[in-house]
Amino acid sequence: MTQEFRLKDEGLIDRSKKISFKFNGKKYFGYEGDTLASALIANGVHLVGRSFKYHRPRGFYGAGVDDPYALVQLIRNNETIPNIKATEQELFEGLEAKSVNCWPNVNFDIGGINNFLRIFLPAGFYYKTFMWPKSFWYRIYEPFIRKAAGFGVVTHEHDKEKYEHKYEYCDLLVTGSGPSGLASAYSAAKNGAKVILAEDKPRFGGSLLTSEVTIGNQTGKEWADKIVTELKEMPNVVVKNRAQVFGYYDHNMLVMSERISEHMPKTEKFMPKQKLWYIRAKEVVISSGSIERPIVFGNNDTPGILLSSAAKEYMKVYGVLVGKKPLIFTNNDSAYETAIEFKKNGINPIVLDSRKELNSDLITEAKNLGIDIKFEHVVVNANGYRKVKSADIAKISEDKTNLGKIENIACDCICVSGFWTPTIHLASQSGGKTKFNEDIDAFIPSQSKQNETTVGSANGIFNLNDTLKNSFEAGYELSKKITSKENKLSVPAVVEKKNSKHDKFWCVPLPKGKKYKRFLDFQNDVAVSDIELALREGYRSIEHVKRYTTLGMATDQGKTSNLNGLQLVSNIENKVVPEVGHTTFRPPYTPVSIGAIVGREVGKHSKPTRKSPMHSWHEKNNAVFVDAGLWLRPRYYKKGNETLFDASKREAENVRKNVGVCDVTTLGKIDVKGPDAAEFLNRVYTNAWLKLPVGKARYGVMLREDGIVMDDGTTTRVSENHYHMTTTTAQAANVLSHLEYYLQIVWPELNVNVVSTTEQWAGAAIAGPKSRDLLQKLFPETDCSNEGLPFMGFIETKLFGVYARIFRISFSGELAYEVNVESDYGNFMWEKIIELGEEFKIQPYGTEALSTLRIEMGHVAGSELDGRTTPFDSSLEGLLSKKKDFIGKRSLQKEAFISPDREKLVGVVPLDKKTSIPEGSYIVRDANAKLPNPKLGHVSASCWSVEYNNPFSLAIIKDGKNMIGQKLFALSPLKSKSIPVEIVSSHYVDPKGERVRS
Amino acid sequence: MQKYSVFNLIKNAFSSHENWEVAWKDPTPKKSYDVIIIGGGGHGLATAYYLAKEHNITNVAIIEKGWIGGGNVGRNTTIIRSNFMHDANGRFNEFSMDLWRNMSQELNFNVMFSPRGIINLAHSDAQMNAYARRGNSMRLNGIDAVLLNREQVKKIIPMADFSEDVRFPIFGGLMQPSAGTARHDAVAWGYARQADSMGVDIIQNCEVIGFDVVGGKIKGVRTSKGDIKANKIGLCVAGSTSILAEKLNMTLPIETHLLQACVSEPIKPLLDHVVTFGAGHFYCSQSDKGEMVMGGDLDGYNSYAQRGNLPTLQHVLTEGIAMFPFLSKLKMLRTWGGIMDMSMDGSPIIDKTHIEGLYLNCGWCYGGFKSTPASGWTFAHTIAQDKVHKLNADYSLNRFSKGYLLDEKGLGTKTWIS
Amino acid sequence: MLFIKCPYCGIRSQNEFAYGGDATVKRPELNKEISDKEWDDFVYNRKSPRGKHLEFWHHISGCRQWFKVHRDTATHEIFKTLKPHEEL
Repeated sequence: MTQEFRLKDEGLIDRSKKISFKFNGKKYFGYEGDTLASALIANGVHLVGRSFKYHRPRGFYGAGVDDPYALVQLIRNNETIPNIKATEQELFEGLEAKSVNCWPNVNFDIGGINNFLRIFLPAGFYYKTFMWPKSFWYRIYEPFIRKAAGFGVVTHEHDKEKYEHKYEYCDLLVTGSGPSGLASAYSAAKNGAKVILAEDKPRFGGSLLTSEVTIGNQTGKEWADKIVTELKEMPNVVVKNRAQVFGYYDHNMLVMSERISEHMPKTEKFMPKQKLWYIRAKEVVISSGSIERPIVFGNNDTPGILLSSAAKEYMKVYGVLVGKKPLIFTNNDSAYETAIEFKKNGINPIVLDSRKELNSDLITEAKNLGIDIKFEHVVVNANGYRKVKSADIAKISEDKTNLGKIENIACDCICVSGFWTPTIHLASQSGGKTKFNEDIDAFIPSQSKQNETTVGSANGIFNLNDTLKNSFEAGYELSKKITSKENKLSVPAVVEKKNSKHDKFWCVPLPKGKKYKRFLDFQNDVAVSDIELALREGYRSIEHVKRYTTLGMATDQGKTSNLNGLQLVSNIENKVVPEVGHTTFRPPYTPVSIGAIVGREVGKHSKPTRKSPMHSWHEKNNAVFVDAGLWLRPRYYKKGNETLFDASKREAENVRKNVGVCDVTTLGKIDVKGPDAAEFLNRVYTNAWLKLPVGKARYGVMLREDGIVMDDGTTTRVSENHYHMTTTTAQAANVLSHLEYYLQIVWPELNVNVVSTTEQWAGAAIAGPKSRDLLQKLFPETDCSNEGLPFMGFIETKLFGVYARIFRISFSGELAYEVNVESDYGNFMWEKIIELGEEFKIQPYGTEALSTLRIEMGHVAGSELDGRTTPFDSSLEGLLSKKKDFIGKRSLQKEAFISPDREKLVGVVPLDKKTSIPEGSYIVRDANAKLPNPKLGHVSASCWSVEYNNPFSLAIIKDGKNMIGQKLFALSPLKSKSIPVEIVSSHYVDPKGERVRS
Repeated sequence: MQKYSVFNLIKNAFSSHENWEVAWKDPTPKKSYDVIIIGGGGHGLATAYYLAKEHNITNVAIIEKGWIGGGNVGRNTTIIRSNFMHDANGRFNEFSMDLWRNMSQELNFNVMFSPRGIINLAHSDAQMNAYARRGNSMRLNGIDAVLLNREQVKKIIPMADFSEDVRFPIFGGLMQPSAGTARHDAVAWGYARQADSMGVDIIQNCEVIGFDVVGGKIKGVRTSKGDIKANKIGLCVAGSTSILAEKLNMTLPIETHLLQACVSEPIKPLLDHVVTFGAGHFYCSQSDKGEMVMGGDLDGYNSYAQRGNLPTLQHVLTEGIAMFPFLSKLKMLRTWGGIMDMSMDGSPIIDKTHIEGLYLNCGWCYGGFKSTPASGWTFAHTIAQDKVHKLNADYSLNRFSKGYLLDEKGLGTKTWIS
Repeated sequence: MLFIKCPYCGIRSQNEFAYGGDATVKRPELNKEISDKEWDDFVYNRKSPRGKHLEFWHHISGCRQWFKVHRDTATHEIFKTLKPHEEL
């Protein structure tokens, strides 16, 4: 294929590097430096997609981020990526892209039928219909609508790309490398500031790449190149292209996404696709420029119609002609630059200027070049379906209401300029106020909320001389505040053309009897008539208009449509634009990759994984792990073909019969130290702590202030002023924060310090009737007898030379000990226990057996203490001191908490002694009662009692203690189970607690 | 009132849609009303509608500071469900579901209620048990619920992460097949249009500056458009409740926090259900436009900003990718924030107050959208009858002081932890 | 992302901190007879102002000290940070 629309010499592309690519299956060529859009235009391709609602043909409207049309499906490295903007995607060898939202293809799209039905499909039509018959919305209409909507496709597979994050601090962040950005960055950098300059496009220079100006004795582009080269060499400056600052967050945190490899075929294995920069800037210069506004006329969405600035950019940057019979339609001077550029390239444009004949540097130059200019003329309507073929033009009256005789002129493109809209998104996102500037008919930033300064055309300044002056000044003043240096540069002299005043005109009236669709929002097909309808129906707030018509809600977020929409609303409502107001600007400025926002925290790394020092031993011994918060804990150790049930039963039985060992490293451990430690514990726990002797442990319960149980655990008095507290695995972090809160804020008079020691200690629980025998083997020189180490006793000793702590505490209800050694010796301890335990038939047991053991003993755990239960509910009332105050005590008087109706902990056994009761079942009186069936309470935990060899459950039921002996039902409708049960005591095994003391 | 129908749509097409009437008028406020509802959000508009429809009280004004539907009814993730564990919450929201099922027809406005099913994913047996408890409670209350195992979940949403490279594997899930989504703006507009047609005055851009309370009785409000009298006033202002409460010298068991949501660019249909992640806070559905609608955590500190912060969003999207890895390939298009009246037990308050004639509807946390019809219905009843209905009897203001808490999550009073 | 000055460590990004709620609420003294209302005001009732708010933060991934932040809940502007027993 020849590149028929490629100019001979012009442009910044590298013609020595020819690139082949495919679009809709067809092979084309472009050059390095092209975008997909410019390469397609060079090949005469203007039809790239279909619009959202009416499936109208879509081409290119802009040349960058502002383009509302050209979304394609990209195939890169065998991955298909939806919704890529052809105007931003840089061309690379082998690039493949396809049109979206069309079937069977972009030239002939069945969905295009919507275009013919469009009179029945005005704004919000779906609110008025699809209601009958009732079930049809979900079954018939909605699936149909869903299919028709959406653009690209995404597959289920994981993203193979990598994304990185970087945190950076700087004195000055400059967002955009046009003249204002370069001047600010340069002036600040020369004054010693640490500067980051970010440019969204591959090339630096912004408008200087396409404008005909002189700065000093150089062209605009030469000057830009020189400044960028110099900035790049300065150690205090970071210069980034392909980097979009998309969000301005609180306290001058800005976020920028940098395309690292997205624009090329992937080569290096570890190269990330994008890098997300979190930049905390002391000052921000917003130099994001401005976007050209459309003028609205009939069928102004036809492919071949585009912004005049885009046409110029395609010529000057990419060396591409958007057409050979161009019509230029403008209300201001800037489009004349485009006309002149066409003319210089041998093309004869016709300019339609809505203004009365006037003169300015540019207009004179155009006239001198012999360009055909029709003043007081407008484009009324564009003809052509897949590509513009001709335009209906007419003279327009001075008040812009009456059209003269319609004339048809042939054209293959229409370049539109309705003046410029400052890009105020970032300034507005920062929380700053905006104001409407009558001179330019647009909003500009006014009051800043954060340390931010907007310069250049983003601030509504459209001449280069003032832009440079202000930007040099801003860069100097801002940097001076930070560096206290006074190295001020002189502003270079500028030669530029003076512009005449633009025309406050943005929408061409309809000729009599014509009903042309005049589009405001090109992607979402929002036309003037839609806005009129919304207002007619009372949707008058700009937010209502936006939501009812979907104006500005497309992927371009209204960059080209919002202001014209506001103009229209204000005209119809007879208000001025600032009264109508704009909708809120929120991040992101342009759509940003979700993968980039997330970075490396994906897959296994989406959350940290905590492992005990004995983890590798567990792995080697066929442990099946379970997540316990961030920890991985052995759930059971699988032998042969055992199921979870088999294995946990074997492990639990072995604890009851012989001895077992369980990794309890994950329990939270907190050192509580200081002369007031006892007093502190006495306030934190519900029971008494003042008289706990050194070398003794005690079980304690702590409440939240609302009276609900927060956590439980044992705390041991290690020495006079030193306590070792344990918490549940789940609550460890919360308990520490809770303790710190009370110590630092509520009772600062207490001389106590707390620190987490969870990671310092490896813990092993040794439980079972033979545990003492094993312990004695492990600690031959320590007196492990019932007298030497009684229940709730504690000793410090040595495990074959390694410092160790032994706590005689039990969660399983058996005679049990917990041994702690420093984490590094955890594996040593564990292996010793296994080795010496062999003769006692020791087996490791996991959390499942642990659960079984605690359930049949009636010990409460997380499934009972679920953040809703009081101590009364969970059979912990014995631990409530009547003599002292403690956290949450005052709440325990509440009517509901002491009501006899309150749900209490009980045991449940199936009458058949065979059927396990699923956890989460409810206890009811009548299994067949009409719904809603009144619930007595729920089953919180179930196990297979290894003691009695039948199922046993814990439940929390109304008036629990008085229900013992009653025969009720456990219902699990989810599992279609209805089980006759008897309510028993929650202490199913060893109710007197003799074993732990034996 | 003009009827909305396909016939009328076609008819109007031939007059270029120039004969459609306003959906609601823009009246100037009268001097007095029988009832004033403060807050033109979903709940306020629904309350006015049910006052007129169920109680024949039509001399009603809705006073809205901004534009109607501009609060959380226009800023949510459109999820409708009744999958609650507590009886009071389950039954209230199932009543709401009944109202949703007929809403488009009743309001003659397509609110696009789409019972596509919601799946709460579970990532451990403990979580499966917690869901079993919730699901069984629902079933015993006559609400549909299904417990799914891993394979069943995989069949319904194969795009979730069932790979080896996953931190918290999916064990199963709890599904409420009748739950779904609706078009949020349409709900506000539909209620507004019907309420207006029955005589309710919808007064926008009217800020409440103060209240007239005489001898313990409410007498009226002072607004930016003048004083307006009424002996019954309903407060229905969600995240702004504390601001108005301060004007009434009331301190309430709620705090205002910010919840963010975001949508991706539109893609072709992929996800038919609403899915919530179990190992964090993330939920996702795909709108009819094709956008993936995503939400998650609170920003984590008291906020009236209506603009969110990035760390929370990053955290939420991290969990999003953990659930649906394909999300990584999409782009985030829009983000927004809504301010939530977080109550101290996570459940709402619909009650009378110590001031005679003043009624309170607040504490919806981040779940007010689904309750919109039931909230309006019961609040209208409470105002009209001056007593609570049995459906909202448990949503009392004094339940905190008495201990009758409705804490679905067991998190207590730290409202900023979701 | 907020930039918060820990009175002990200096200015740090928000991710190092955990929020701790309204700092104007004072826990009633232990063993003191108080009314239900006073207790509920401590446990449940909050002013939740729009505007200036004195609140607790916890430097959880830093020095683990609790401190007060005076912040605007509408703009997130931070006016001052204080140690727990300093008053505004």
